[in-house]
Amino acid sequence: MSLTMGTPKPFALWRHLNKLRWLSLSIVFAMLVALPFIHVYQTYTAAHAYDLLAPAEKQLYDVMETLTAAFTDDPAEDLDAIKGNTWSGSFFGLQLSDPLAVAGQMAAGLKLYAPFLLTALIPVLFTLVLGRFFCGWICPATFLYELNTNVSTWLARLGFKVGNRRFDLRLKYAVLGVGLLLSAATGSVLMAAIYPPAIVGRELYYAIALGGFGAGAAFFVGTLLFDTLVARRGFCRYLCPGGALYSLLGRYRLLRIRRIVENCNDCAKCNAVCEFGLDPLRDHFGQECNNCTACIAVCPTQAMTFVLRPTDFPKQGPGHLGKQYRRAHPDQGAH
Amino acid sequence: MQRRSALQRLIRGAALLAAASLPYGVARLLAPEARAQNHNREHNREHKRNHIRPPGALKDDAAFVAACIGCGLCGEVCPPRCIRFHDRDGGGKVNTPFINPEDKGCTLCNKCMAVCPTEALIETPLDEIDMGIAQIDRAACYPWVDRGICGACVSVCPLGERAIGFEMWNQYRPIIKDGCVGCGLCVEVCPEPSLPIWIVDRAEGTVARHTV
Repeated sequence: MSLTMGTPKPFALWRHLNKLRWLSLSIVFAMLVALPFIHVYQTYTAAHAYDLLAPAEKQLYDVMETLTAAFTDDPAEDLDAIKGNTWSGSFFGLQLSDPLAVAGQMAAGLKLYAPFLLTALIPVLFTLVLGRFFCGWICPATFLYELNTNVSTWLARLGFKVGNRRFDLRLKYAVLGVGLLLSAATGSVLMAAIYPPAIVGRELYYAIALGGFGAGAAFFVGTLLFDTLVARRGFCRYLCPGGALYSLLGRYRLLRIRRIVENCNDCAKCNAVCEFGLDPLRDHFGQECNNCTACIAVCPTQAMTFVLRPTDFPKQGPGHLGKQYRRAHPDQGAH
Repeated sequence: MQRRSALQRLIRGAALLAAASLPYGVARLLAPEARAQNHNREHNREHKRNHIRPPGALKDDAAFVAACIGCGLCGEVCPPRCIRFHDRDGGGKVNTPFINPEDKGCTLCNKCMAVCPTEALIETPLDEIDMGIAQIDRAACYPWVDRGICGACVSVCPLGERAIGFEMWNQYRPIIKDGCVGCGLCVEVCPEPSLPIWIVDRAEGTVARHTV
């Protein structure tokens, strides 16, 4: 009897979703870099004074004109189609906001403002189905944090000490609670100052269009150092208030990753690759999993797949291709 | 035994709370509020405002700060790029928008009001925009002290006749009228370095006296 005959195989394209995710992260980040340049170009066109521009400004104008001439005749108006960042932005007339922005603003003003509430509706609905997908697929800070993880790995290989401490995962819910309480107490949306995606979007805009980084850049560098020296992806896992909100919203998400125990050989590559330090090998994903699909991509025996369930799959024990299972079930034999 | 574990849990909870509020401490440290207040007081004393909220902003500044999420959209759609953001001097106001008319005035294009996702900037008809009102220091403005002919402020005003004009008996001396909404373009173009024209709160303006 062959074990691999009747076992389910994951859909082949899911192994490549991790590349798609990197593409998505890169596109979001590239947009955040491109939008300030587009904005600067728009101000130059609106001023109708090409001759008065400095040589460097003329160069920027020319480059942007070549890039956008094919799409628009009126840059000052048409290039407004996509504006803003992941904290709040407008996308072809559709206003989208981070649920944390809405929560923070509601706490700061102590009232509901329906039009703004509605801008977070689409992200919230997606989160209810896909869980913390924002953290893995869109967040511009994730792009930098994951690159930083790679740098830390190289540093560790070169013999530097890289921190991988573990803290209580519930710390971030306390950050969210304290943040909302402080917002209500001070009457300003404090979360915007410590929420990495908001900081990255804003600081890129400040640096490119307004001529210099703001205070948030220092904080963001601090979080990078925290990730490198104290805990891998530590800010996202233990401190990020937005991650906490997404985790809570995505607690009963429908789309989950599941281990196919028949295909698993207990190699634990999934645990090693998991940015959030979860335990896919023992079927522990929880509300922290952001469906980033890194474990699906890395699995050498195709034992990871998606499943539609509101709760995690119950613990399935050791993988059937692993030594531990085969020692316990010698009668089933190797295929 | 039970009491001890309860105590431990209490201590652990307190430590959790302290660790959780650490980022806020760092954020507040990076944005000290004390300096910002002194800064503002100094400007209030002179009745000179160089941190004007964008057009259509909520009148009550505390309500504005509560409503603003610091997304930067208003600045990103602003054609003359006059909207700037409070940075380290902001305290609780950090990342909220302002216009410094000495630097660049607002052209009243309405884009920022249209794009604001929250109720911080409300779409307001041109006549009802109230960012302040321009005021001319008649002891420093060149035409007013008979040092020359200028008229830069009058020629740049987007509202024209209802906001600014010339005095009846001396057609070189600019006067502010009630229709002024405080966009600050006149402050931007004023060639006199001491800026004899600036934006003040409407309540502090002395339009009545100056137009007589």
